[in-house]
Amino acid sequence: MTECCTGLCVGGTVPNFKLETYDPSKGDFGEISLETQMSNKKWTLLFFYPADFTFV
Amino acid sequence: MGAEVITVSTDTKFVHLAWQREEKELANVKFPMGSDKGGKLARMFGVYDEATALALRGTFIINPEGKLLNAEVNYYNLGRNIDELMRKFKANLYLQKHEVQACPSKWKEEGDKTLTPSAKMVGRVHQALE
Repeated sequence: MTECCTGLCVGGTVPNFKLETYDPSKGDFGEISLETQMSNKKWTLLFFYPADFTFV
Repeated sequence: MGAEVITVSTDTKFVHLAWQREEKELANVKFPMGSDKGGKLARMFGVYDEATALALRGTFIINPEGKLLNAEVNYYNLGRNIDELMRKFKANLYLQKHEVQACPSKWKEEGDKTLTPSAKMVGRVHQALE
């Protein structure tokens, strides 16, 4: 597999991942996984950013 | 719209809680704020900056079958345009239901002109877009 600038290739399958979360709509901590998203037939928009309490 | 927006940074979930509570710009945030401690997920998506131990500004759209359809990565000082992100997401939803079509560069929302690639269109895209 050739190396793509994004690590994963667009058009490729994303391996399952899990993330601990803070969910403001519940006011509580939780966990989210790609597997759960897929079984709920949902699209996932992952939005990475450098750090909380910063500006852009 | 059938999508889950998940924001991700290397901050812990505790910092996310504090930030969402403090920053008035985030008062209406309803989506999960992911904690990618150590940058494991950011590395998987190729947005982890080893020099700063932070994630670059990367946005990725994954369909319900787990396929990565779109990627956009900016350096720290350039914010992403949410209108463009929504445009891409709406285009993906539309194309999921209309698999033989393509959304040209000026496509903004359902109802705008699309292309249906075929042998007849070769060399005739201009006419197809009129």
